[in-house]
Amino acid sequence: MAAIKVKAKLKKGIVKVKAMAKHEMTTYNMAKKKTGDRENANFITHLSGTINGKTVFDMSTSQFLSKNPIFKFKFKGEEFKKGDKLLMTFVDRKGKTGKGKGKIK
Amino acid sequence: MQRRKFLSLTLGALALAVVPASVRAEDYRKTKPTVWSAHTVEDGIKNLYGTTSTINKGVKLTAPKIAANGGAIPVDFSTKIAAKSIAVFQDANPESAVCVYSVNEYSINEYSIKIKMAKSGSITVVVQGQDGKLYSAKQSLEVALGGCEG
Repeated sequence: MAAIKVKAKLKKGIVKVKAMAKHEMTTYNMAKKKTGDRENANFITHLSGTINGKTVFDMSTSQFLSKNPIFKFKFKGEEFKKGDKLLMTFVDRKGKTGKGKGKIK
Repeated sequence: MQRRKFLSLTLGALALAVVPASVRAEDYRKTKPTVWSAHTVEDGIKNLYGTTSTINKGVKLTAPKIAANGGAIPVDFSTKIAAKSIAVFQDANPESAVCVYSVNEYSINEYSIKIKMAKSGSITVVVQGQDGKLYSAKQSLEVALGGCEG
């Protein structure tokens, strides 16, 4: 199953995106309580979105995003058309990557 | 001896050529590691941008005044300022940084995310303008049930 669900909609030259990443987002405190070691914390550290190889979204994140975090954002869509695929990728603290893609509707 | 020298030189040149291509978009976790371990909002902003003087305008921040569940607080923010990057901080958790967006030529700076807060506190959004100045907005909120202890 895709690790990120992506919904993108093009309207009047603007693409609106709603993305949900599936991730536990364990903080240091939670890891310490549950496993006794704060180094077991694991969360998404970097998330980016590309269309046709062009980066349209890029963020670095910390442990304080909610569990299964939802991201909403917009970007200029003149260059893109319906049917183009938005590919989103995250990297977590342990170096694991998750991917998801959605067609622009 | 000559050949060994040649080999090491080529390898070095190759390594140099590969690095710039991989750091196109800035990963703030790698470039500014101290931001993520800062305990106060002031320290976080200082570690990220080198200064704490911000102009309190131009940024719109919307968050609930009372959040029932500290595990997922919806935060919306937007700005019309031509920005280079946008950072979100809060002061209720052990560390202050939440996330940093790097703005690109396609960005429309209107975002919404869900964050965790352990207790009542305030959220600060800092926008780094292309003019080099920092713009910010701050909102305090009450959290009924903390979301960080799991």
